[in-house]
Amino acid sequence: MEWYLRGVIKLNNIGKSYVTGSQKLEVLKGLSCNIKKGEMVAIMGSSGSGKSTLLNILGLLDSFDSGDYLLSGESMSGLNERAAAKYRSKLLGFVFQSFNLIGFKTALENVALPLYYQSIPRKKRNVIAMDYLKKVGLEDWASHLPNQMSGGQKQRVAIARALVAQPKVILADEPTGALDSVTSSDVMTLLREINADGITMIIVTHEHDIAALCDRTIHLVDGLIDLS
Amino acid sequence: MFNRDTWLEIANTVLSNPMRTFLTGLSIALGVFILVVMQGLGFGLQNGVQNQFSDDAVNSIWVDAGRTQLAYRGNMPNRQVKMRNSDVDAMFQQMDTVHAYSRRVRIWGVVMAHEDQQSNFPLRGVDPDHLMLENTTLTDGRYISSRDVAEETKVAVLGATVVEDLFEGVDPIGTYLLIGGVQFRVVGTFDDPASRWENKMAYLPFTTAQNIFRSSDKVDQIILGTGDMPVADTRSLSDALLSWFKDRKVVHPDDARGVRIENNNEEYERFQNIFLGIELFIWGLGLLTLLAGAVGVANILAIAVKERTKEIGVRKALGASSISVLGLVVQESLALMIVSGSAGLITGVGLLEVVSPMIDHEYFKNPQVDFRIALVALGILAVVGVVSGIGPALRAVSIKPVEALRDE
Repeated sequence: MEWYLRGVIKLNNIGKSYVTGSQKLEVLKGLSCNIKKGEMVAIMGSSGSGKSTLLNILGLLDSFDSGDYLLSGESMSGLNERAAAKYRSKLLGFVFQSFNLIGFKTALENVALPLYYQSIPRKKRNVIAMDYLKKVGLEDWASHLPNQMSGGQKQRVAIARALVAQPKVILADEPTGALDSVTSSDVMTLLREINADGITMIIVTHEHDIAALCDRTIHLVDGLIDLS
Repeated sequence: MFNRDTWLEIANTVLSNPMRTFLTGLSIALGVFILVVMQGLGFGLQNGVQNQFSDDAVNSIWVDAGRTQLAYRGNMPNRQVKMRNSDVDAMFQQMDTVHAYSRRVRIWGVVMAHEDQQSNFPLRGVDPDHLMLENTTLTDGRYISSRDVAEETKVAVLGATVVEDLFEGVDPIGTYLLIGGVQFRVVGTFDDPASRWENKMAYLPFTTAQNIFRSSDKVDQIILGTGDMPVADTRSLSDALLSWFKDRKVVHPDDARGVRIENNNEEYERFQNIFLGIELFIWGLGLLTLLAGAVGVANILAIAVKERTKEIGVRKALGASSISVLGLVVQESLALMIVSGSAGLITGVGLLEVVSPMIDHEYFKNPQVDFRIALVALGILAVVGVVSGIGPALRAVSIKPVEALRDE
């Protein structure tokens, strides 16, 4: 039972279906898994296998129909919008394929944004945000807008933003999907370093090279984990 | 909710699309500008007409005699009806209360002389209440008193023009003046700002003027003050007086000229109603313009929310609560409304301030905007701002991060 107690994420028989018109599409069919604290896990699967849905549920961006989800020991069943926002802000950090930086905010402001939603005073959050920009090696780019930066730089800003609220888990959706191979490996190196600090890392990817850099890989096939 | 960070956030988003913001702001500013300027113009018109009324007391009834139009009880038409002292006395006996009254005789072109200056001026014999009924402003000394009328004293109260022409800077009070060859003591001077005509007059006690210059007991005009009587009561009073007078002076009941009674109360009320109408019209127009602006804002916010779907999704993923997203959009709308509304307000008021001194027309004076109206306009803007922000804001809240962040 030791693994269970140390598990930062525990999914038990999660089911999720979408209703489109008269059709009901079952995306997750009773999925269970366990991710330990400090693990770096890749989620792989062909398109339509439910990996994006799984990531959304893990990220409290979407609800699930059945089963139970324990995040850091607390049940995430039937959360309302406000509670979900609170847990997201406290426990989770996100990294997206297309970076999703806010275009009219500077790198520093983008990184500081999660702290704004935690009501941390402006000065303090800029100091913290600057620390994390340093951590990803972009302190000289603090006052630049996203469109003045390269893809790799943007993704590093996004990673700094995901880290700034000191989350327990970072969820990355195809973090290297829009990057060339050299920058991809830079970003993966950075993610590994962060993981070494004890932050659990879940990476959705379709690239085997990327998955190979993780501790283990969860293969999704038709809404279930492929154990073969 | 209204801290510095929130406003910086709003400033950021509003300024990130300057053209869109400018156009929305313009439509709102224009709405408020039109509202303010129209209010000012309406107010100016009202001021002008009210100023016309300030010539005479509003609460007064004026009785005049003229030539008859119709034959009646053996009298030929075109007969001059004459009001006499006995008629006035009988009238007062008919009335329950007389709040204030003044009889009038008018004499045209009487030679008035002081030392070596002389000139022709009209004069009027009046009773003490004439001061109030004619809305005269006494500038020095005193007015005709009831003792003057009772004792037929030879005193005169002179209009500003008479003083100017005859006295050349000498203080006229206490000096003597020849009026039609008879010596009068000047006891007061007056100024009637609403009527330059009145300023060319000398007022004498009614009895003195009638005896010396009329040498008959004819009365030209009677003015009755109605005090604080309701308009409906003044209407029945003037109707009753009219039929009583016509009967006494043998004038056909349908004759419109023989005896005329003008009720200033009614006239004033009619104008008040017209102004109420104009005011409602102006408010209606102004509010519709504002509404058009508000619809524009709602429209633009809706587009903005759609454009910002992804950004709002990101914010939600980063921990933004629904309330904060709602607040962001509503406050943006509110800020846009208040800032551009104030701009419209300031330009509108500024224009009126600049234009106001240049306009001096009889029926148009002092076009200004009441401060309270400005506040009401801002209040309406705030409400409209919130209301037009609500729809788009609810849309923004309903955005699911999942859908927003999906890469397409």
